[in-house]
Amino acid sequence: MTALLAGIGAVFEPSVLLCLGTGLVVGMLVGMFPGITATMAVALASGFTMTLEPVQGLAVLLTIYVAANFGDRIPSILINTPGTPASIATTFDGYPMAKNGEAGLALIVSALVSAVGILASMVLFASASVPLAQLALKFGPSEMFAVVILAMTIMISISSSSLTKGLLAGVIGLFIATVGRDPITGDARFTFGIRELNSGLDFIAVIIGLFGIAELFDQLLTHRDHKVQPISALGRWWPTRSEYKRIAKPTVISGIVGLIVGVIPGAGGDIAGLLGWDRAKSASKTRETFGKGNIEGVAASDTASSATLGGSLTTTMALGIPGDSVMAVMIGSMIIWGIQPGPSLFVNRPALVVTITTIMVLATLVTLGINLVRMPMMVKLLDMPKHYIWATILVFCIIGTYATTNNLFTVTVMLVFGVIGVILKRCSIPAGPIVLGLILGPLAEANLRRTLLIDGPAGLINKPISAVLLAFAVIAVVTAIATPILARRRQKAATVQSN
Amino acid sequence: MKLSKFFMQSAAAAALFGLALATPSFAQDKFPSKDITFVVQAAAGGASDRTSRAIAAELEKDLGVNVIVENRPGATGTVAFAHVAEQPADGYTIGFGPVEFAIAEHIGYDFNRENYTYLAQVMDSPVVLAVRADSPYNTLEEFLEAAKTEELSVSNSGAASAFAAATFTLSKMTGAKLTGVPFDGGAPAVAAALGGHVDAVTAGAGETATAFADGTLKVLAIFSDKPHPMFEGVKTAKEQGYDLTFGAWGGVYGPAGIPDDVKEILEESIRKAVSSQTFLDAITPAGILPVYRPGDEWKAFVDAEAARYGEMLAQ
Repeated sequence: MTALLAGIGAVFEPSVLLCLGTGLVVGMLVGMFPGITATMAVALASGFTMTLEPVQGLAVLLTIYVAANFGDRIPSILINTPGTPASIATTFDGYPMAKNGEAGLALIVSALVSAVGILASMVLFASASVPLAQLALKFGPSEMFAVVILAMTIMISISSSSLTKGLLAGVIGLFIATVGRDPITGDARFTFGIRELNSGLDFIAVIIGLFGIAELFDQLLTHRDHKVQPISALGRWWPTRSEYKRIAKPTVISGIVGLIVGVIPGAGGDIAGLLGWDRAKSASKTRETFGKGNIEGVAASDTASSATLGGSLTTTMALGIPGDSVMAVMIGSMIIWGIQPGPSLFVNRPALVVTITTIMVLATLVTLGINLVRMPMMVKLLDMPKHYIWATILVFCIIGTYATTNNLFTVTVMLVFGVIGVILKRCSIPAGPIVLGLILGPLAEANLRRTLLIDGPAGLINKPISAVLLAFAVIAVVTAIATPILARRRQKAATVQSN
Repeated sequence: MKLSKFFMQSAAAAALFGLALATPSFAQDKFPSKDITFVVQAAAGGASDRTSRAIAAELEKDLGVNVIVENRPGATGTVAFAHVAEQPADGYTIGFGPVEFAIAEHIGYDFNRENYTYLAQVMDSPVVLAVRADSPYNTLEEFLEAAKTEELSVSNSGAASAFAAATFTLSKMTGAKLTGVPFDGGAPAVAAALGGHVDAVTAGAGETATAFADGTLKVLAIFSDKPHPMFEGVKTAKEQGYDLTFGAWGGVYGPAGIPDDVKEILEESIRKAVSSQTFLDAITPAGILPVYRPGDEWKAFVDAEAARYGEMLAQ
């Protein structure tokens, strides 16, 4: 009890609240800027927070983490450019909604469900960190491989119009993921003597290229044909009562997905967003409009990816193993402040755990409040003439991508993928499965080969978690292939009968 | 009286201000007279970045100019190394040179150790071998003995790293059957050992310190010349009869041909930085040890390491 009060009280110091405010401003700016990630911001901020008190420093860093997660969604919805991988799935329905004149609604729903996701995950963090962290340790290479294979089956569902084109896109994604050094032997693959390609294609550059730049090029090429409004028609802001009801189910389903994925080390907001979107789609009554501007899709992807925050905090604090790249930087700072993350943190310093939870909750609520208030003002920016907007976005994308590596090569990669994106668009090959292949390919490959190194082929099935997950994946693929065949057969039988 | 005091103070302030304005013009031809760029071969957040920023902060204080840290990650660091090699050798572009200086050339990168001026080694992060707390092995001897009859898996932070080399060399030296399993970074490698998916892990001191302090990992050996302050009671490999040292060391380098007078100023400034308390406070919590070797000695060390890794990686 005293720990609870002390922990909460520690946050409500003027200096800590000031730090929280600082983190908020930095985080929101970072989130909106495509290419600049929360990891980068936290890493740079950790240089300045080193000399602060631990609680003050945690307030800055955790608030950046939370606020960036909110800000991320805005460019995804308004300009089809995911600020970070975590908001890839947001573009699936968010941007079509914006194109349909529902940008305001999409932004508000996204902010609301992101808050729900984070708060739900913080409940889990505060109540069950230590046992959950132990569960997380059960995920070794073979289990990770099984999770990734299961996640790959959603390629089927995100291939909106044509399954063949969707799978083709998925394979393209898997192929570009092999560029770089072999994860086990370290041999160069498809690098063609270009030094930069040794570390693979920069992921952020590829997604900004495929989504944002491709959209921009597309607008450039078509602006004479017909008037594509950049989303100045924002429509309504607040959801109606029936819309609240509609988003309740996808929020709960994808929230659970996000909580589970968050705890698995090495799987983060990007995978959770895609999986959550997929699960909500298959449970939805309005499945066919997913990907065309369905509000349930926005709710699902953003709840799921936000709900991973508590999960990564769990493995970070309860094991000392960073749950994502932001947390890796955070651990470094915590150790400097003399805080040793690990199981003993919860035993020896319960007040600090309460403080961390309080900071996260407070940061979430304040960010949500500010987001709801400022959205109309911010979105006004998009009322500018289209040629100014897209030109500005191009400049921002270039600066943001350059900042990831300080190397123009990365910008080139982004622009090349912009061109590829336009070509694919014209062939109506979806970009979603490409990104999925790009995220999951390296994870699948490296974990499969680790499993084989450790245990040989038997390692894939002699562990209960991986065996069950792989069985699910097989069922998912078989049903996906069998359902249309069976339906056709039934139809044939019906026509034969009626004849 | 009061008025005259006021005038006196104003005059003093004006004089000081004038002096401050004048100083740079005296210093124009003396190194350094403009900002220094410090290139880091890794992204913000890791051990290289942490050490570099700590060094840069000390150099800034000592030299009186801005030292701007620039992260240029990619291709095992060789993107940054190549960039530095192309800059003018005037001392205004320096960088962080990690253990990859001794490895890159052996794993197919276009990299030549001779293209650089070696200023000083500043740190070392020794490799440790650890097992889960409930593992039957308590000493390096027991572990290697068991690995003679049964194949044991050892996770590490990545292919062709100092950590992977440690496992490989240990296995070759003793005939123990150890399978190195590369992961994507030190943290997942440690997690795999904690979860019991592999029999042991070779990782940096900093990455294992948390689990060691919590009692969830047993550290069997540390591959360094001397005991590590964070691992009380842990013997070095040498003390256990295996004369092996492995570390993720690093130093400060610049393009080849930095003039001797500039080199001396930088070397001296780096030497002071490494012995400063603020530098220590910034790096030791991450398991990094301050190690100072002046430029020539560090170069000799890099050459020796490169020869050693050449042999190990040629297999």
